[in-house]
Amino acid sequence: MDNNKIILDIENVSQWFETRQGILNVLHEINLQIVQGQFVSLVGPSGCGKSTLLNAILGTVPPKKGTISAGGIPVLGPNRNVGMVYQHRSLYDFMTTEDNVAFGLMLDQTNLFQRLFMPWYWWPLRKKHMEEARELLNKFKLGHAHKHYPEELSGGMKQRVSVAQSLIMKPKILLLDEPFSALDEAMKQEFQEMLLGLYQENLEAKKKGEPPPYTVIMITHSIEQAFYVSDRIIGLSKNWNDEERGQAGKTFGATKMWDKCAPVYHPDDPRDFDLFFAAQQELNQVVLREDAPDADRNDHVSFWSDLEKGVGTGVTMLRSNQ
Amino acid sequence: MARIKQPMSNRRRIILGIVGIAFIVVGYSVLSNIQKNRNPSDTTIPNLTQFQDGFVEIFKPRKSELEALLNPDAPAKPPWIVVDVWATYSRLFKAMVWASFISVVLGTLMGCYATIESLFSWSLSFLSKIPPTAMLAVFLVIATIFKWDQNMMFIMLVGFGITPTLIQSIYLAAKYDLHKDEIDKAYTLGASNIELIWNVVLRKILPKIIDGIRLTIGPAMVYLIAAEYSLGSEGFGYRIRMQGRMLNMNVVYIYLTFLGMTGLLMGQSMIGIRKLVCPWFGSK
Repeated sequence: MDNNKIILDIENVSQWFETRQGILNVLHEINLQIVQGQFVSLVGPSGCGKSTLLNAILGTVPPKKGTISAGGIPVLGPNRNVGMVYQHRSLYDFMTTEDNVAFGLMLDQTNLFQRLFMPWYWWPLRKKHMEEARELLNKFKLGHAHKHYPEELSGGMKQRVSVAQSLIMKPKILLLDEPFSALDEAMKQEFQEMLLGLYQENLEAKKKGEPPPYTVIMITHSIEQAFYVSDRIIGLSKNWNDEERGQAGKTFGATKMWDKCAPVYHPDDPRDFDLFFAAQQELNQVVLREDAPDADRNDHVSFWSDLEKGVGTGVTMLRSNQ
Repeated sequence: MARIKQPMSNRRRIILGIVGIAFIVVGYSVLSNIQKNRNPSDTTIPNLTQFQDGFVEIFKPRKSELEALLNPDAPAKPPWIVVDVWATYSRLFKAMVWASFISVVLGTLMGCYATIESLFSWSLSFLSKIPPTAMLAVFLVIATIFKWDQNMMFIMLVGFGITPTLIQSIYLAAKYDLHKDEIDKAYTLGASNIELIWNVVLRKILPKIIDGIRLTIGPAMVYLIAAEYSLGSEGFGYRIRMQGRMLNMNVVYIYLTFLGMTGLLMGQSMIGIRKLVCPWFGSK
């Protein structure tokens, strides 16, 4: 635990909305601590509040109850500490790929006055931003497309550019909203490999005693993708009960029903599909099935206790200079 | 038989375009010929020779008979076409520039801020429904009160005619063309509100702004020509009225053709500008 820095702290977060039919409870008392360098997948059936939680972390729809802090700073609105890659509209269609990637640097390091009236200051900086953007695009194997507009890119390329656009800002946390849903199989593979490559950088940084550079939280419908690219899986569901309130999930909203680590493989290493399959089956039983029997909400929440026991894989298990 | 919306080659398109123009020319020539046979001194449907006279007339430097008598050495005034082009197009240009500036600022702010939207949307809808030519009498009174000259009055009239509609089109583009995710994304990249408006909203809706301005050139011309026709002492509307009264249609038709050609040129120029500054727009 001492070895791991908490980068995202979600404390007792509940969210509800007022509708014509009355109060709609969406999330109930979510507690979640994400360690720097983790790749976390957030899974759950449709309507369980995954996007609501993501919006709360992003700061666009703050929770009605509870607090969220990113890197120790309370999240009060969208800001540059939390990067976001949307399913469809992350890139600006009026900018080329390199402009899209360099956009954040421009906003971060200059202001409008400097850009409009101080060309001697702005133009050399602009050149530097473009070089940085191209460097990152080359890293994501997109160097050849730096002058293309988003319309001219495939779905997978767009997603990789979106990730580059966010990562160039070095956000404390990167949120991915259904990144695989609009991609075909080949593109999914490409994007998976890119994410796994980033995760390997985290592992190497941790081994050297440096802070892992990327922390990713991803919403996905696909359990398969969740297991392939995450080292921890969080499941949200309304199928929960507790001793005091009985079958409470349907009334109070979804809560964290699953929190376990998952194995992450090097992109070139073979995967243990049997292990994936068994975990998927269990997760499906507890979290995803609409008719799943209600379970105690702590039955499958074992990430931190497993960590203390030394069970698991990934960045959280690595000691610095290991 | 061609299917509906069946594509066509460029060559064929050009040939058909030329055929369309040829139809008009031939139709006109036939009509003119028929009329000339009925009445050889008719000027309502002029023939080629009469058009030549019309050209000479509008390009001729002018000096009134009285001026020539009183001061024979005084330089002649510029030809009609020069006076009228300057009068009409300088009014149009000034009105368009002011209307566009006000519309871009107000329309964008209305699309971005609900408070400004609520403040102006109803009143703009109301104003846009009043035909500006019906407001001529009001403008005449206002011009007298504020001691506006004729140019100023026409500019204000055209501005009144096109600004509400242009504001509305820009406001709708700013409100609906930009998805919430695109705005939130800019905030996650560290944009301030003013940067978001300048770097994201305006750039995103720029093609719509250019198209909006292009589409208001036509109505602006209608309002301006109508105003000049009623109250002007120079400009295309004035000249068309004066020459029309004398049935000098060889001059009127040349003026109308000139208006059509310049309108077409302005429209195409705006499309060219849009393609130049927004190459991403409609690329697929």
